[in-house]
Amino acid sequence: MNFLKRAFYSTKAKVGRSLLLTFVFSAILIFILAGLTIQSASLTAAENAKKSMGATVTLSANMENAMKDMQKNSNEGQRPDPGSFNLTPVDLDDVEKITALNNLSYYTMSSTTTVDAKSFEAISSEESSNTSEQSAPSGMKMPQMTSQGDISISGTNATATTTSFKGGTAEIIDGVGITNEDMDSNKAVIETTLAQANDLTVGDTIKIERDDKTYKLNIVGIYKSTESTDSRSMQMASLNPYNTIYTSYTFANKVKGSDYKNTADSVVFHVTDPEKMPAFVKAATATGLDTDTYSLTTNDQQYQQMVQPLDNVKSFANKIVLLVAIAGTVILALIVMLTIRERKYEIGVLMSLGEKRSKIIAQFFAELIFVLALALVVAGVSGQFVGNAVGKQLIEQQTTTQTSDATSSAQQGPGGGQAPSNMPSGGPGMGGNAQATDMQQQISDLDITLSIKELMELGGFGLGISFLAVLIASIGIMRMKPKKILIS
Amino acid sequence: MLEVKDVNYWYQTKNDALYEDINLTFDNGKLYGILGSSGSGKTTFLSLIAGLDVPKKGEILYDGKSMTKIGLTAYRNKYVSIVFQSYNLLPYMSAVDNILAALEITNSQRSDRKSYALDMLSRVGITEDIAKKNVQHLSGGQQQRVAIVRAMCCDAQLVVADEPTGNLDEQNSQEIIKLFSELAHEQQKCVIVITHEREIASACDVVLELKNKTFQTIH
Repeated sequence: MNFLKRAFYSTKAKVGRSLLLTFVFSAILIFILAGLTIQSASLTAAENAKKSMGATVTLSANMENAMKDMQKNSNEGQRPDPGSFNLTPVDLDDVEKITALNNLSYYTMSSTTTVDAKSFEAISSEESSNTSEQSAPSGMKMPQMTSQGDISISGTNATATTTSFKGGTAEIIDGVGITNEDMDSNKAVIETTLAQANDLTVGDTIKIERDDKTYKLNIVGIYKSTESTDSRSMQMASLNPYNTIYTSYTFANKVKGSDYKNTADSVVFHVTDPEKMPAFVKAATATGLDTDTYSLTTNDQQYQQMVQPLDNVKSFANKIVLLVAIAGTVILALIVMLTIRERKYEIGVLMSLGEKRSKIIAQFFAELIFVLALALVVAGVSGQFVGNAVGKQLIEQQTTTQTSDATSSAQQGPGGGQAPSNMPSGGPGMGGNAQATDMQQQISDLDITLSIKELMELGGFGLGISFLAVLIASIGIMRMKPKKILIS
Repeated sequence: MLEVKDVNYWYQTKNDALYEDINLTFDNGKLYGILGSSGSGKTTFLSLIAGLDVPKKGEILYDGKSMTKIGLTAYRNKYVSIVFQSYNLLPYMSAVDNILAALEITNSQRSDRKSYALDMLSRVGITEDIAKKNVQHLSGGQQQRVAIVRAMCCDAQLVVADEPTGNLDEQNSQEIIKLFSELAHEQQKCVIVITHEREIASACDVVLELKNKTFQTIH
């Protein structure tokens, strides 16, 4: 009969002691499992965040240098000539080189301008115009067109990849959006309020005007915008989100003039992994990009905002695992030590028979392993519930803090201070509230599920704790003298 | 077989020595009785010859080899079986499992361990039914018989017993002494019984009395 059999007999005979140990071990393992599942879920969520959020690198005109040039061109002591401020649009040849780089998920080109509505009326408020007014549906006023343009043309290569559509503040409700296949076409996607006000539907043609030239646009889709309006959009019709018409960027360039052919105001490159963003910028610069004329602006704020609470939760989970493992080892070691004191006589008998101390310790270890097996079952069943409860509570606390931070930073102004000023309506940095809510939604869905990997990790922790507990407790066994136990 | 050579033992100081320069020889096939009053050092002597402790001075040789060279654990494992006054059985096992555990620990060469253990138990009046009961459900006499069978079953040639009849009535005591006698004479083992009862000692082949820090041969 080897030590394993003795361990089995002992465990079976001492039901009360075995159950007590199972209970204590289960409690320790439940907390470790909760920590492990939260840790694992945080990692998965962070990975998913990387995939879903990515990071953006925006290629646009170098504003700082443009300003310097303007000041340089002005005479000393005189005010800079506002007319000399010139932003060079992004050359598509440069864009083509960057799109060939690795780690690029997709890119969004934008070219914006303002035009006048010709065959229809733009949405406006009373504040925006003091010219002749007409009644409009939904109680809105339709002003006369102004020379600055009351319609914003947002040219893109794909509406689906623009921040408004990606962030959920714009949604196609009829027809289709603009895609890469629509380049050099006159296709347009208009806002539903504008469509309703002018009785427009998919398939209709509208006319717009700029510099006395009239352009026809075919409506291929209607979208709904939930973007909030601010005081500026009340004063300037073109800033009203309802007056934004999405077209191909080539159409926007055509309207802007021949100088803008094969250009874009800005290009937003979506990098697959935020961690690879610096490498991407380096590679993009190495393509021969004229950094005096253009700038590459990085933005992984959204990813950082999303990942920070997950990192906090992961860090907390790590601490739970570590603390519970240490406390568990100490508790179990104390219990095993007490048990060993109680079983001193049995140890003496085994020693008198010539049993090696190592085998006696192995017997106690095996007994703890039997208990561990039971405790693993108990922890496996209940650990996931505890993990869910603790994880949800933690993530709620973290996201509330982060969301309020994100919301307040979004309220500071469009672009959050990082996006280029020539960013089109709905470009990156806009719609902060919606993004914050979206972020909260994404990280609230922390998927705390129990997998084989976690169970194996838990088993490993259990084995480690058992081993350490027996090791600490066996110091006493190593010092025991059979004569003292059995004779005195 | 077992030689006690110039053995001295003390607990606190040399001046309080229990024994001084003890020289004894124990042979196979004999039942030895060691008598002595309480506190004379009988049990300490047992712990020395059983390999539970080592002499302060002198040495104990088993078949010419020093016990310390053999190693105390190895010595207890291979060469000696101990029977205690308080039986010292593993409390969470049956009688037969106690014997099987001892056979396993001492690496008994027997292949039919279980049937051998049951057979040996039946020889001391422990039926199979009783043998399969937890030892805590057995009487003192039955437990002591199990402890003796455990010593008999192991391959060790030396059997030492410390007050084996101390907790038993007269009838059981007689049966136990009879068993030890059989162990010595039939299995040709060297059996050393520590006792303070002269009636028990009278059944032994050789009786030694521990008196004034030395052993005197009674018969």
